[in-house]
Amino acid sequence: MNFKERFVTAINHKEADRVPIMGLIVDTATSCKVLGKQPANILDLLKEEGPKDDLLAMLNTPEVWNQTYIDIVSDNLEAAAKLGYDANWAIYTLLQLHEDKSTKVGFVWHDPYGRVWEISEDNNGNSIINYAGGLCGTKEKWRAKMEENKALFEVLPDYAREFHCALQQRFGDRIYPVGYAAPGVFENSWQPMGFAEFTSLLYQDADFAREIIAFHTEHYLRHMDAVLDAGAEVVLGGDDLGQKTGPMLRPAMIEEFFGESYRKVAARVHERGAKLIWHSCGNINALLELFVDWGFDGIITMEPTAQMDVAQVRQQVGHNLALIGNLDVSHLLVKGTREEVEQAVEQAIAGAAEGGGFVLSAAHSHSLIDPQRLQWMVEAGKKYGKYPLVR
Amino acid sequence: MAHDLKEKLKEALLDLNNDATLDYVQQFLAADEMTAKQAVDSIAEALEIVGRRFQEGDWFLGELVYAGTIAKEAMDVLTPALTADDARANCGTVVVGTIEGDMHDLGKSIFINYARSAGFDVIDLGVDVPAETFLEAVNEHEPLAVGMCCLLTPAAGGVGRVVELITERDLRARTKIIIGGAAMTQAFADEIGADAYAPDAVTGTDIIRGWVG
Repeated sequence: MNFKERFVTAINHKEADRVPIMGLIVDTATSCKVLGKQPANILDLLKEEGPKDDLLAMLNTPEVWNQTYIDIVSDNLEAAAKLGYDANWAIYTLLQLHEDKSTKVGFVWHDPYGRVWEISEDNNGNSIINYAGGLCGTKEKWRAKMEENKALFEVLPDYAREFHCALQQRFGDRIYPVGYAAPGVFENSWQPMGFAEFTSLLYQDADFAREIIAFHTEHYLRHMDAVLDAGAEVVLGGDDLGQKTGPMLRPAMIEEFFGESYRKVAARVHERGAKLIWHSCGNINALLELFVDWGFDGIITMEPTAQMDVAQVRQQVGHNLALIGNLDVSHLLVKGTREEVEQAVEQAIAGAAEGGGFVLSAAHSHSLIDPQRLQWMVEAGKKYGKYPLVR
Repeated sequence: MAHDLKEKLKEALLDLNNDATLDYVQQFLAADEMTAKQAVDSIAEALEIVGRRFQEGDWFLGELVYAGTIAKEAMDVLTPALTADDARANCGTVVVGTIEGDMHDLGKSIFINYARSAGFDVIDLGVDVPAETFLEAVNEHEPLAVGMCCLLTPAAGGVGRVVELITERDLRARTKIIIGGAAMTQAFADEIGADAYAPDAVTGTDIIRGWVG
């Protein structure tokens, strides 16, 4: 059984030869450590003396961005393959660099939806970006931004399609690049406005909130089509619907405003003969039944630090959802001992892998995750994940 | 009438009814026998209930945030009408910020809202705050507590650095340290020697309240 058959078999709730292992690697720090490369830090370029007009013009050319970005993601996949993963997620995004003197670095990234991403450096000198706010705090600003980027929204799905097709071509014989359409409709709706502003809209101007959601649903379906065009049997969608202690919004409210949107996304994926795995950070225990109802086929992440426990989730949803995760990335895969990693893997498999429907994975990705610990996770996965499972 | 209006204002806020809340606030200001201070107390009582509902899992983040938005709007109307005597007793000063390398603002803003409504004087250092800036603020404001927010594991080292700096300067007897945010856990708080970890803004406010005198 090859990596792809193993992964797809598990998503279909059947027992493969062993539990598949998937990566969520998206940061260059981890990739570079695995591949023995020096990170290319954009901060170094930005810190250089002199005008940056040429740099901005170059980076903000979609062709240059797309080529640079696909090389970065290729490194992620190369690293994932080297670690022995069966699959790794692959997200297309397009960012544009803007000067912003109010920030420490003097530059920020903007995305087409109206988010601002600040650039900073972690303790190891890796550049990282954070969502820092939105450019669309009012109805007028939101409409103006969507109008301004109208042409971009037309071509984004084409860029995404080319990106996912290219990854399939480059890596299809070594690892399964699972295409991920991100960000989702919920995040695209609130983040460009701000959470307080968007929440106020839900209560005070529900019609406009629905207009925003409908706009992003339409765009998201085109994005998802582009991912599916790469020939995927399994795709990822996602929205961070949870925070540390529970859902961001009352589940009934999520259903009221976003339920139809999510049903459309799931239906589109199913029409194309694929399965939809949903990513959400945070504590989403209270949303699991809704996920099943909307037609999601699985979930990926399940953060232990947000009280997500894969065995409990399996008990709660049975085999209505395939589960991918949930090894801790706050301690275990940063500085846990080999015994701790082995024990966590054994426990996750025992709790969720019976009958298939489970893929072993880190709960998320960040630059401090230690490749050695990831290697231990893979080795333990191969040791404890052989079917039939030993009880 | 006073009791009725206080209850109506509280209920309007708990119903998340922005228009009704502001309407009752105007009624407070228009009535001779009522004071802005009574309206403020009523709003504080409502927010206390909102916080409990959130902690108990009956309410969700959106409701917590929207209640805070309505309360802020009401306070913007009431504040000019408050006299110097109306100022709520200051329970103490709290310095808060999101640690360097992390720009997340939402959780910190919710905490600030609730801590202020609970009577704390909150100094907001903003986001992406270097450890040294936390130390300077602790020296300058001599707070009861310093709160650090961190949602990104790669930035978590900075939280430990603040604890080290405050400890090295021998300021721990005067200032307690509390941490929160997606990358923070009780185990991490224990590891770096913070006084407390709070899983949410309301619990954080409760913990700091427990440190008052």
